[in-house]
Amino acid sequence: MNRCTWVLLICGLAPRAHAGDNSPAPIDVRHFDRVIAPLLAARCLDCHSSQAAKGGLDLSRRERALRGGDSGPAIVAGNPGESLLCERIDAGEMPPKHPLEPAERQTLKSWIAAGAPWGADPIDRFRYTTASRAGYDWWSLQPLAAVRPPAVHDTAWPRNDVDRFILHRLEERGLTPAAAADPRTLVRRLYHDLIGLPPTPEEVAGFTAAPSQAAYERLVDGLLGSPQYGERWGRHWLDVVRFGESDGFERNEPRKRFWHYRDWVINSLNADMPYDRFVKLQLAGDLLLPGPAGAAAAGFLVAGVHNTVVGSSERMIRLARQDELEEIAAVVGQSFLGLTVNCARCHDHKFDPIPTTDYYRLISTLDGVNFGEREVIDPDSAAELAQVNRQIGQIQESLRAIDLPARQALRAERKLRDDSKPASNRVQPFAAWEFETDLRDAVGALHGTAHGGAHIADGALVLDGRGAFVQTAPLDRRLEQKTLEAWVALENVAQRGGGVIGVETNDGVVFDAIVFGEREPRHWMAGSDNFVRTKPFQGREESSRAAEPVHVAIVYRDDGTIAGYRNGAALGQPYQTGFMPFAAGAAHVVFGMRHAPAGGNKMLQGRILRGRLYDRPLTAEEIAASATTTDEHLADDVVFQSLPPEVKSRRAELDANLKSATEHRDRLDARSKHRMYTIVPGQPPVMRVHVRGGVTDLGNVAPPGGIAAIVGLSPEFGLAPDAPEAARRLRLADWVTNPANPLFARVMVNRVWHYHFGAGLVETPNDFGFNGARPSHPDLLDWLAASFRADGFRLKSLHRLIVTSAAYRQASSSNRRAFEIDAGNRLLWRFTPRRIEGETLRDAILKVAGALNPAAGGPGFEDVTITPNNGTTYYEAFDPAGPQFERRTIYRFTPRGGRSAVLDSFDCPDPATAAPRRSTTTTPLQALSLLNNSFILRMADRFAARVAADSGADRAAQVRRAWQLAVCRAPDAEEERLSLKLAEDYGLSALCRALFNLHEFVVVD
Amino acid sequence: MDDISSSPLNRREFLDWTTHGLGAAAIIALLKTGGVLGAANARPPTGFPNYPARAKRAIHICLIGGLSHLDSFDYKPELARLHGRPLPSDEKPDIFFGQVGLLRQSDWAFSQRGQSGLWVSDLFPHIARMADDLTVIRSMATESANHTPALFFANSGFQFNGFPSVGSWLSYGLGCETDALPTYVVLPDGRGGPNGGASNWSNGFLPAQHQGVVLHGGRQPVRDLFPEQPRAPREDAAVRGAIDAINRHRLDQGPADALLEARIRSYELAARMQASVPEVADVSGEPAHIAALYGLDQPATAECARRCLLGRRLLERGVRFVQIFSGGPIAGSPRASWDAHENVRENHTAEAARIDQPVAALVQDLKQRGMLDDTLVLFTTEFGRTPFTQSAADQVGAGRDHNRYGFSVWLAGAGLKPGFALGSTDDIGWKAVDQPVSWYDFHATLLHLFGIDHTRLTYYHNGIERRLTNVHGEIVRGLLDV
Repeated sequence: MNRCTWVLLICGLAPRAHAGDNSPAPIDVRHFDRVIAPLLAARCLDCHSSQAAKGGLDLSRRERALRGGDSGPAIVAGNPGESLLCERIDAGEMPPKHPLEPAERQTLKSWIAAGAPWGADPIDRFRYTTASRAGYDWWSLQPLAAVRPPAVHDTAWPRNDVDRFILHRLEERGLTPAAAADPRTLVRRLYHDLIGLPPTPEEVAGFTAAPSQAAYERLVDGLLGSPQYGERWGRHWLDVVRFGESDGFERNEPRKRFWHYRDWVINSLNADMPYDRFVKLQLAGDLLLPGPAGAAAAGFLVAGVHNTVVGSSERMIRLARQDELEEIAAVVGQSFLGLTVNCARCHDHKFDPIPTTDYYRLISTLDGVNFGEREVIDPDSAAELAQVNRQIGQIQESLRAIDLPARQALRAERKLRDDSKPASNRVQPFAAWEFETDLRDAVGALHGTAHGGAHIADGALVLDGRGAFVQTAPLDRRLEQKTLEAWVALENVAQRGGGVIGVETNDGVVFDAIVFGEREPRHWMAGSDNFVRTKPFQGREESSRAAEPVHVAIVYRDDGTIAGYRNGAALGQPYQTGFMPFAAGAAHVVFGMRHAPAGGNKMLQGRILRGRLYDRPLTAEEIAASATTTDEHLADDVVFQSLPPEVKSRRAELDANLKSATEHRDRLDARSKHRMYTIVPGQPPVMRVHVRGGVTDLGNVAPPGGIAAIVGLSPEFGLAPDAPEAARRLRLADWVTNPANPLFARVMVNRVWHYHFGAGLVETPNDFGFNGARPSHPDLLDWLAASFRADGFRLKSLHRLIVTSAAYRQASSSNRRAFEIDAGNRLLWRFTPRRIEGETLRDAILKVAGALNPAAGGPGFEDVTITPNNGTTYYEAFDPAGPQFERRTIYRFTPRGGRSAVLDSFDCPDPATAAPRRSTTTTPLQALSLLNNSFILRMADRFAARVAADSGADRAAQVRRAWQLAVCRAPDAEEERLSLKLAEDYGLSALCRALFNLHEFVVVD
Repeated sequence: MDDISSSPLNRREFLDWTTHGLGAAAIIALLKTGGVLGAANARPPTGFPNYPARAKRAIHICLIGGLSHLDSFDYKPELARLHGRPLPSDEKPDIFFGQVGLLRQSDWAFSQRGQSGLWVSDLFPHIARMADDLTVIRSMATESANHTPALFFANSGFQFNGFPSVGSWLSYGLGCETDALPTYVVLPDGRGGPNGGASNWSNGFLPAQHQGVVLHGGRQPVRDLFPEQPRAPREDAAVRGAIDAINRHRLDQGPADALLEARIRSYELAARMQASVPEVADVSGEPAHIAALYGLDQPATAECARRCLLGRRLLERGVRFVQIFSGGPIAGSPRASWDAHENVRENHTAEAARIDQPVAALVQDLKQRGMLDDTLVLFTTEFGRTPFTQSAADQVGAGRDHNRYGFSVWLAGAGLKPGFALGSTDDIGWKAVDQPVSWYDFHATLLHLFGIDHTRLTYYHNGIERRLTNVHGEIVRGLLDV
């Protein structure tokens, strides 16, 4: 793009609609395309286009415009006086709220007078940028311009090409850059910026002793190479992707296994993973990179809020899903493209050239994204694990071949099992699990898999009430009416909330389960999502001897009636609520857990002897009959003793083999299995345009695709509307990161610039559209983006380029003339001083106090209490002491709404929405937190102890050391006097507390 | 030496900002001019109020769970006539739990109250006595029948996490009338926070100073007001003195620095807050007749009474917006909110007993102090409840499900038409039919009373100039006294 156009755009005028006035240019077809069409598009076509045009008037096509609407012909070519259009606009009636300017009216009249020559037909509303919206010619949608660094007068100042762009603009305005920052200021700035921690006095001294260019470059390389770099810049990225460790909304359940994503971000940045790879893996890592790293990366897609209470009707469920997709589309569009595509959900984008169709094509690529936990196996160990599992399976098969006949023989002998009933009395279950020797479904293919230590012993499934449960394969048929049935021995009757057998959707959000004691102690209930289908049966309390097995069944009819049974007799009263069918492939059966994810009070402690699922409501008689087949348990030992001697030794041998194979498997498991919160992909339906964003009025099919407006990048994915989920996301990942996509590089270099300088070249890092800011240095932005791309999207090279520039190394000193011309420092005539972020503040305090625990990665530390209370989870900040809590703040567990006082008052955003830039406030509450917060006081004590240990008993030496540690410099005479007085009167800790509160401590200049 | 004291942001003006109660929107404009907030709102809004304000402050009683309008403020004789009959239409209502039982009449008798003859049921005998001061909207309708989205919507105009609430917007637009107390104070129900917790008083994307500040009982009414661990007597003052002296020393040594000046000022305000918060939080000095008026002396009402009284004290001292929640966690048995799925009579009796007298006393007390002239009292809920019961189709159950199509809220005070009810639901109270009012309209009207044009109070966030009213909202002129 040439400079002229840039200037126009920067000034925000885009006055093409006016350009025809008094211009000698002929009023022809070209004039129409450049002037008339944009004017009509901007001022008329919102209402007067397409079949549904208001008043029947469609001004988007020549033939229809001439024909006119309900009131008659709108345009009489060559005769403005006869044209209804002119009459209406002259009367100020049209457009209704904001009448046309006189010049605009004249433009239209002149065009009609000239015979109303028409160009592109129909008018493409998005073709040209107007005064009120962006078109396809919008600056950020254009390919990267080939830009050369401009010439400058002061050739001595620039240290690299970045500086030429900066200096060129300064010189244009007659400004000069500030002097270079002094070495101490620079080294402190660099540490804060690159690793988010202050330097030690020794590190400062090391640089200031000989601050050469080479020394500076070594410093930069050292910091970029340190693991703290990823912790610092990873935090920035987590802001952008709204990373939060709870679901939000009503239940707001914690996501205790979501730290994998945070660690993946940190590690990837430290490894200088190319940015295109970094993004591809976040969109499709589970597909591109089998194993934990890929699955962790794709956690990006589900990092936002997730409403797990969606109501009972189809409409509510579908609306909640559309809301979810809008949230994901927003973060994809804004993070990688700087486009607010989400604004096109209900109507064409009001400001950018994104039609609603494009929005639905985009979400069609994302519609396979579901929220949940997955167990991911390390690919390196997968083969070995599979082999061991096969071996275990074979041994178990051999054991089963021995045990099953022996058990059946014993039962027959003891007449414990009532096998004499005629088969016709028996109802064929949908699935049945005997748990005699394994987790297999004796009827169909709903075989179970053990998790968290669930295992078979003595012919029963043993569950520990902590993490053990069994999950089956997905339902192979749709399940409508049903009966859940189980024989269960509770470990104790005091437990509250464990599930025996249940059907749940694959994400665990919707479920029906037999649950013990959740709402009322010792009572059975029909557990369901958010208690939607749960009411008290008002049946008897379970007071029996804990270990005695009971038979429990719950019947679900499609009229919403739910009936419970215990040992064959009705359990209290049936009741009627709603009814929930479960789709084939989208749900499975669980034992030992109310619903996924595992943990909390959802886990059952006891033994399940047998479980059955029927795809029909059993009658009371059928249930009574079934209940009588309850049997006592045959202990493994009893079975063993019944075996002939030779079989006994064979069995013992098998047992030993099983034990060693299982131990091997467990070791492998621990090493290679990773359970994490991430995308749970599912095959989505064919996407259709949802008219006005609702869910009842569906329009055209929207096959997977991209945003058409980006110039030079095809939105076509070549996929059918019913394409497989994986193909959709893979194509999306390719499309977003395509080198021909100019936004991809522009948006990221701008983000990096934003964090280095406190403001981006475009001040709205997530919005490069019409509502966003215009670039302060468009040429520099394109030059940086092109260099970034040419360099293989290496972030560390980009950092190096920026921080070694003279622009970055300026002092922050003000200058009256420059201030008058450019108070906001958009031209970068100095370095803008900045208050450090909440996390950096906390980290700096830990480091200065000598308390920082450098442990990286793994589950976050929790400085909030987590209290589930009747369906809502409350998070309350507290200040736990101990090294595990003294890690960098990026390792803090960050639930939504679970904010800590210091971070909160220092503008740390709640991760409810993306925070591409943070606000910076200075408030009394901030002062109170920094003065009085328990953490601050504790750290002041630690800081004091450290200083005393470092510098002995001499007060003056202590004061100087404390200053050096806190602000990287010695106090001047007055500062020393004030500090000494405070330390002498109230101790060193009081001084340390004061130092944390100094302006200089919280500001980087 | 060059400094910025000659710039549009002169030092004196800057230091005066809080004492003049200048809104934060305007402050951002000033800071922006001063080059301090380089990345702050790109297009700061114009100064507020836009026109003379009727209301200067508001107190919001926020009912969690869904108050039954049919049993409180929306008198429906037709519903009594149709008691025990099915819904008189073929409609299959799309409601939260999906169970549509038979119609049920109100569990409370209604009568016309005061001079105005406003219909109020016996559920709220004390509030009923204030009928001549109430302005009821009987035709509210909302977009979600799901607790948390509905509550977020009532508070922030959006159904999702992450949007600023009404109190935050007012703080952003108008600032505080005092610099010794927070602008927006939250008093949660003693039984626990509402569903969504602190997200309900979040500043969202607005700067942090606009979030609601929770005021607790005890020695630390506001978090970190005093040192969490005991310090030597007078250490606090000495530490603050040293901080101030060193910061001022830096200011004297270097060029003018608006950021540093703001920081020095923030410590002065913090000290004032340390004095004023305990003073306002201590209600023990209130005269006995006032304590009795609120019900501070009775077990059932004491908890809410303390908060209502505290609310009045906060308003008196210049706090802009006080929010009192009635209801804690949403689920559970017995219910600790207005979510009367099982039994309206039992549930609403218990909940009303907690708040009826204190809320009525608040209105009366504000009135007798002359504060009601420029103070708004808001009494709202998430949604209403269904005219049919939540039960089997052939039964009259005891509970009612969520009803987003029609419900009642009331306001009182500044600029409103008193003793008046606007709009109506249909004959059985199922849907708002006459003059339906959305939360957008409600919020537009509320801002209007504060002298704010709701379309002009905006904040840029991720591509959109965000408003409390999104792209909607019409002022409900019929509620206004002029």
